[in-house]
Amino acid sequence: MEMLLAKYNYWIYVTLMMIGIYAMIAKCNLMKKIIGMSIFQTAIIVFYVSIGAKKGATIPIIAHGHGVAHEAVRVADYVNPLPHVLMLTAIVVGVGTLGVALAIAMSIHEKYGSLEEDEILERQE
Amino acid sequence: MIWQFDLLILALGVLCALASISLKDLLSAAIVFGAYSFLMCLLWTEMGAVDVAFTEAAVGAGVSTVFFLAAVYHTNRAVKPRRRGRLLHKLVGLVTAACIGLLLLSATADFPTWADPNSPASVYLSPFYITETIPQTAVPNIVTAVLADFRGFDTMFETSVIFVAGLAVLAILGSYGRRQRDYEPSPTGQDAAHQSSIVQTACRVFVPFMQLFALYVVAHGHHSPGGGFQGGVILGASFILVAISYDLRVMQRRLRERLAMLFAGLGVLIYAGIGALCLVLGANFLDYSILHTILPATSPIMARSHGMLGVEIGVAFTVMAIMVIIYVNVASHGKSDRGL
Repeated sequence: MEMLLAKYNYWIYVTLMMIGIYAMIAKCNLMKKIIGMSIFQTAIIVFYVSIGAKKGATIPIIAHGHGVAHEAVRVADYVNPLPHVLMLTAIVVGVGTLGVALAIAMSIHEKYGSLEEDEILERQE
Repeated sequence: MIWQFDLLILALGVLCALASISLKDLLSAAIVFGAYSFLMCLLWTEMGAVDVAFTEAAVGAGVSTVFFLAAVYHTNRAVKPRRRGRLLHKLVGLVTAACIGLLLLSATADFPTWADPNSPASVYLSPFYITETIPQTAVPNIVTAVLADFRGFDTMFETSVIFVAGLAVLAILGSYGRRQRDYEPSPTGQDAAHQSSIVQTACRVFVPFMQLFALYVVAHGHHSPGGGFQGGVILGASFILVAISYDLRVMQRRLRERLAMLFAGLGVLIYAGIGALCLVLGANFLDYSILHTILPATSPIMARSHGMLGVEIGVAFTVMAIMVIIYVNVASHGKSDRGL
């Protein structure tokens, strides 16, 4: 139980990743595959963000006020900001790629009249 | 960090993920996926990643749900019940997922325990950002400082990726430039007659505040969670709200597709232009401290802060325009005539 609780963030990210990859492989509908891809993406973001967490630390915005001299910043007081930066841009890029994926799915639907993988394969012949 | 709270959110998140991939109705699946995004957003707030949570709330739970709904509207809503022959796919999927899961789980044995302040990720490189951000840039929000200054080169290309994604959507769906884009402006109200006046009035009251808030988020990103990405998405969402509650044409009267495309290019140009300006003034690309020679009454440290604001504005332009372009093309199937 101790060991489980000490690393539960990894367990959850692995679970989400498995759900995502299962949806991408086993689901027949293209929309479901795209949803699976997005779940996979959030799993990776969970992983990165949880790496940056620190016990007893606060959000990465340094306490400040106008006209107040800054005290020396203690590293242990603030969570690691680097994974946040990487994941912030990843989310926005993710919505861009989601738009492209949806556009491709819509053109496929226009051409083959279906979003089901097997029907598209049948109609290709 | 309260682990009971974390576990509750994570359990709900896993449930939502399972529900959204197994529901037979794609519209419900998209909504449940939106709920999943909100849960993730809560989780990240709780882990201290406020900027990530803000982005996820605006992007994952807001705009991408709308994109999904628009795409489902133009394709099939129902997932066909499966006949025979899918057993193999399911088996392959399960085995692959199980193998990957087992491999990753066995690897977690070597990982540091959760939220350990002495984990390798927290002792190497990141202390530099935490201690040096205020002395070097005078920006309290470390995430903004790392995003726009220390790792500004990265962010410039991420902005370009978003720009390219917009171009790709246009290339796949759009009829941009292929024919006359000038619609005949029909008398006001006729386009939008199919929508309830309650929704329209609420939207009319709402949108100015949304846009003002978006500008605040862009400008105040140095001191609070936010910045160009979040502000740009909120600004784009305000246009999408107009397009949903009125009609696509009403929105396009405010922001034509050509203008949106121009904004998208302009944003990347602002970013790269500020970088090039630093180069011209004799410093490295995107080294904003040199800008103090042309900005009145600034020290090199404040110049870095102002340079960040400049590139954030560029990012906001691109993100806003690309969100609008993707929505217009997905919602109208590339015809940009009428919306959902």
